Amino acid sequence: MAESVTAPMVGKVFEIQCKVGDKVEENQVLLILEAMKMEIPVVAPAAGTVKEIKVKVGETVESDSVLAILE
Amino acid sequence: MSTMDEKVSELLARKQKLKAGGGPKAVEKQHASGKMTARERLDYFFDPGTFVEFDLFARHIGTDYGLDKAELPADGVVTGHGKVAGQDVFAYSEDFTVVAGTYGERHGKKISKTVDMARKMGVPVVGMNDSGGARVTEEMGALSEYGQLFFRHVRTSGVVPQIALILGPVAGGQAYSPALMDFIFMVEKTSYMFIAGPPLVEAVVFTKTTNEELGGPAVHGAVSGVSDLTATDDKDCLDRTKALLSYLPPNCNQQPPRREPGDDPQRPCPELRKIIPAEPRRSYDIHDVIAQIVDNGEFFEIKKEYALNLVVGFARLHGRPVGVVANNPLVKAGCLDINASDKGARFIRFCDAFNIPLINLQDIPGFLIGNEMEHKGIIRHGAKMLFAYAEATVPKITTILRKAYAGGYLAMCSKDLGADFVFSIPTAEVCLMGPEGAVNILFRKELSAAKDPQATRQQRLGEFFDKYVNPYYSAALQHVDDIIDPQDMRSSIIRALEVSLNKQDELPRKKHGNMPL
Repeated sequence: MAESVTAPMVGKVFEIQCKVGDKVEENQVLLILEAMKMEIPVVAPAAGTVKEIKVKVGETVESDSVLAILE
Repeated sequence: MSTMDEKVSELLARKQKLKAGGGPKAVEKQHASGKMTARERLDYFFDPGTFVEFDLFARHIGTDYGLDKAELPADGVVTGHGKVAGQDVFAYSEDFTVVAGTYGERHGKKISKTVDMARKMGVPVVGMNDSGGARVTEEMGALSEYGQLFFRHVRTSGVVPQIALILGPVAGGQAYSPALMDFIFMVEKTSYMFIAGPPLVEAVVFTKTTNEELGGPAVHGAVSGVSDLTATDDKDCLDRTKALLSYLPPNCNQQPPRREPGDDPQRPCPELRKIIPAEPRRSYDIHDVIAQIVDNGEFFEIKKEYALNLVVGFARLHGRPVGVVANNPLVKAGCLDINASDKGARFIRFCDAFNIPLINLQDIPGFLIGNEMEHKGIIRHGAKMLFAYAEATVPKITTILRKAYAGGYLAMCSKDLGADFVFSIPTAEVCLMGPEGAVNILFRKELSAAKDPQATRQQRLGEFFDKYVNPYYSAALQHVDDIIDPQDMRSSIIRALEVSLNKQDELPRKKHGNMPL
């Protein structure tokens, strides 16, 4: 079952710490957003494999927008 | 003439019959659905043998539809008082085995009487809700008694703690009874609350939904913010209620109960030097900081699934109950948004109403900004934090861990909002605005004319930081009482708390303030 990784708040993609095909654990940090002068870690909502990364470093994202898909 | 012995046997037989509630079949059904009965809950909740019931013989008022002949034991709700860890508590417990615990006129009068008694005696009241809703056959009798109860909850608010447990359904108007109390605890799988159930929702607004989706604990815990805590089952819920009561005074005229601390007030917390990152952009979990500071690491968190960017809950410091209000940099950078402001303000007001000192941990880059927040009214909602802190007369002790920017700094209880003590650790950044923003404004011309704008900006940033964005500057201006080693946070806060215990602070005489709602 596919699981979406969404942005917890509006921000800019600061760093991507996973790549397509990576096996990840629940709560593992997948990428880091930058907002309100802080780095905001975005974690895997469940264990799985990274199927798709939908954003690039530097891109701005809205709250709740999909950043990656896990499978 | 029967003898006294015969009369007593009749009394006992009558009591026994009434205490059987809806009978063995209904009790079996209650158990099968994963719930305890009304009386089992009271037995489990109170210290053994301390529960004293009143109005066991209260009779329902129904006369139509054959109800004149119906026996509805205790009218579907058990009321009385007992002791929890030696302290008196009033309670009502709805009996789902008696016509689904429906709220009839007498049922309502029994509950209202329990709340009245609690207020008069200055004793907390716990409501154990498990009801199919209003008893339709009693029509205005039921509706009017809802109103009577709501009125009492409001008049009792701030006098004694009122705690609502949702241990089954709570539907329709009755949902506003818990809503008017201080805390709402729900139970996984068996509890739900809504103002209209799935059949009515489908009939009127044409949406198919389920009890869980409409008003289960997952919804009220994480989405609506109606619930304060989700328990795993009835026993867990009752245990947690007892734990909550252990932090609370019986009424607004008494101090919260001190307990043997079992933890050294001078205990250094060297871990705090590692947990709080010196690098200003790094996030960390504020729970780890709270666990270090409070007695034995014990923290009773309220609304832990809702607005995670602000953490609130009860703990003890050298045995004394305190309310902790802390930004969590791990979530939304620790910003105050609308939901966090609502959550925080309500908690602060509860603590103030019941003489529970406030311990504030600041690491906040500001109120959350942007279209969404402005459109939803962050100004109106964020103002609640300012109002609640400024109005609170209990001891207020603030520690600045890192960021303390702008309105967020004030809203997390600065000196100006009435903090009695403000500590900061060396990583604190207290300022009107972030250095980036300030440098862009102050040196706009210089930056646009510079040969190497990046280098100029870095140089100006460094200067600004050294001059203004550090705790020594705020301490020089007396906004910070002292700059401390993070490992001394526990002992410093405890000393401040102890010297504040006889604090006198009166609000100007008035009917009541006009809090932004």
